[in-house]
Amino acid sequence: MLLPALVPVPLAVLLPGLTHGGGWDLIGSFAAAAVTPSLDPLVLGSLVRGLGVTAGMALLGWAASLVLGLLLGVASSRTVWRTLTGTALPASLIRRLLAIPRSIHELIWGLLLLQLVGLQPAVAVLAIALPFGALVARVLSDLLDALSTASLEALRASGAPAPAALLTALGPALLPGVLSYGGYRLECALRSATLLGVFGLGGLGTDLKLSLQSLEFHELWSGLWLLLAVMLALEGSVSLLRRRWLAPGRFVLARRGVGERSREMLLATAALLPLCALVGHRLGVDPSALLAWQPLPGLGQGDWATTLALPWPRLVGGTLLLTVLAATLAVGLAPLLLLLVAPRAWARRGLQLVWALARLWPPPLSALLLLFVLQPGVVTAALALGFHNLGVLGRLLLESTDDADPAAEEALACGGSGPRLALLYGRFSGLARPYLAYGAYRADVILRESVVVGLAGATGLGSQLLESLSSFAWDQLLALVAAYAVLTLLGEDLSDRARRRWLAVA
Amino acid sequence: MAAGPPTAVLALRGIRVPGRERPRVEDVDLSLAPGERVALLGASGAGKSTLLAVANGLLAPAAGTVLWEGRPPARSRRGRRLQQARIGTLWQDLRLIEELTVQQNLNAARLARWGWPKALLNLLLPLETEACAAALRAMDLDPALLDQPVTALSGGQRQRVAMARLLRQEATLLLADEPLASLDPRLASELLALLLAQAKAPRALLLSLHRPDLLAGFDRAVALKGGRVVFDGPVDQLDEARLADLYGGAPP
Repeated sequence: MLLPALVPVPLAVLLPGLTHGGGWDLIGSFAAAAVTPSLDPLVLGSLVRGLGVTAGMALLGWAASLVLGLLLGVASSRTVWRTLTGTALPASLIRRLLAIPRSIHELIWGLLLLQLVGLQPAVAVLAIALPFGALVARVLSDLLDALSTASLEALRASGAPAPAALLTALGPALLPGVLSYGGYRLECALRSATLLGVFGLGGLGTDLKLSLQSLEFHELWSGLWLLLAVMLALEGSVSLLRRRWLAPGRFVLARRGVGERSREMLLATAALLPLCALVGHRLGVDPSALLAWQPLPGLGQGDWATTLALPWPRLVGGTLLLTVLAATLAVGLAPLLLLLVAPRAWARRGLQLVWALARLWPPPLSALLLLFVLQPGVVTAALALGFHNLGVLGRLLLESTDDADPAAEEALACGGSGPRLALLYGRFSGLARPYLAYGAYRADVILRESVVVGLAGATGLGSQLLESLSSFAWDQLLALVAAYAVLTLLGEDLSDRARRRWLAVA
Repeated sequence: MAAGPPTAVLALRGIRVPGRERPRVEDVDLSLAPGERVALLGASGAGKSTLLAVANGLLAPAAGTVLWEGRPPARSRRGRRLQQARIGTLWQDLRLIEELTVQQNLNAARLARWGWPKALLNLLLPLETEACAAALRAMDLDPALLDQPVTALSGGQRQRVAMARLLRQEATLLLADEPLASLDPRLASELLALLLAQAKAPRALLLSLHRPDLLAGFDRAVALKGGRVVFDGPVDQLDEARLADLYGGAPP
């Protein structure tokens, strides 16, 4: 588990060579601004408006992706097809088709849609809804197919028609997974909406990028702290609902009426509808405007020779190197940092805060910041992407460490082990396999995400893609998106295998 | 045995189910009259579970006929569902839906007659509370348990809820595959007494059993060996020698 933590060693050797003279004073004033954010009402007012737009886009994109994901998830479940028709073949087919929208990052979707239908609020919503919907569908159908079918078979044997039996036997069992994952997707949507803003699709991301580019670090930090507050509030309320609805029945539901929990959930879902409608109205989202496609510049006169002449091996190699570097950084550093701060509670709190910031801080902004002191390239991009994913993995590790059985750690501590060794042997040893398995999954998320740090320059497919997009080279763009999709699908397959291996022996 | 094949709750004729090495069930005839309570005996691998799977329609035999209340398996989907609704199975692992309350579990037995809109409503509202309470009372359970999640019940309570679910289903043919296998002796005889008490005409009970000491309440015993029926008669004719032969003795 700690092996990937060795990756900072060569990086530490490489880094001095990558720095360029100036910029350290800028980094210094950036860091100093963290404690002196701008409190100017004008600035704050504009940031709050931007945040409103971002949160609105996130909410709508999330809600649309859930609806899409639920429908497609049920449609790609083997159990559902087998129960309804006796064959699971259509499920495999739909699953494969869904891999395509899933493999394309929301940023690419956003930029493509931007070219197709012009700048409008619905673009960001759709850009989030499409890949997220396909992701939710996959997770949901995996959850569905992993459920025990014993009670489903029992209901069928007592003559229940297939839809009613599926609903009764599998619906309630599916709910916890849907709620947990759905809540997590809402946070992802907020992050994605901020990221899309960085690339000009409006909202807080745009403000943050402008502040960074004009070196207004105090304003930048006001925006970041606001975003952090919203994100923490969101995380808090999601986990509150999760506890309320999913806590073990023995303790909470015993004193409640039949179906009360389901009614509450239905009511909450119903309340989302008018909320979404209101937000959509305020943001000026107009779905019909998505149908008005702009004529595509230069389409049809493809120059495939130039496309073929792109330095493909270097592009693919750069992307893979970037992915591996960022993934090992994130996977390796999280447990290492947690071990370092283990003995001190305040340091742990500090680490949690840094990780929360890392999660919501869009990687392209980290890349821009790093460019103040580092030369553009794969390492700079990997640091930016690795930092972001460190926040995601770190929280996961912290949560599972807290949930793990403390007995072994206590026994070691009683035996005189130091707190770090007790944590390492007592808890991490048991968590290593599931953590690495999640790390493998994260690696293919990182591969998908590598496009967002394309503006750190020379990072492989991502930077080429942004370049081709800005020069309207549609043929190149198409080839690059396809290359990304193929890489992501291969990576997904590879990480699936790794995950199965790591989890099977556990 | 007063009832002939036309009125039998279950009639199996010449049933054959092929297996990998030898047939799992071969040339089996078995008929259950209304009100009849039949114990199915035999060592592990004798074919009891296979025969029960044929009896509840989960397994179509390679040869032979199955008649439920005098009728062969219906061709239409709806007709087949209503036929299945008359067959109640008490599963060894109970197969309660763990995420639901007792009442929702009991109502799940009505799905064959309800369809999905009411199935959805069952997840949201307490439906047909009086009928559910009656089913619980018939199993010596307190109706106050209705709003409890089934995960909160004890092992014995869960067994009774599973049996109450058969009552809610209004099944005429009650099937049970070694339902008492994992229970302590006192609980086993209590539950068996409840089950036997419910099996009055028009219902009939076919229950597979490993313990000859529990045979007393049954009208008839059917013993399988190597997939064939080797005994079919009143339980009091089943002496020590026959039992020894069934469970590991020399072949007849």
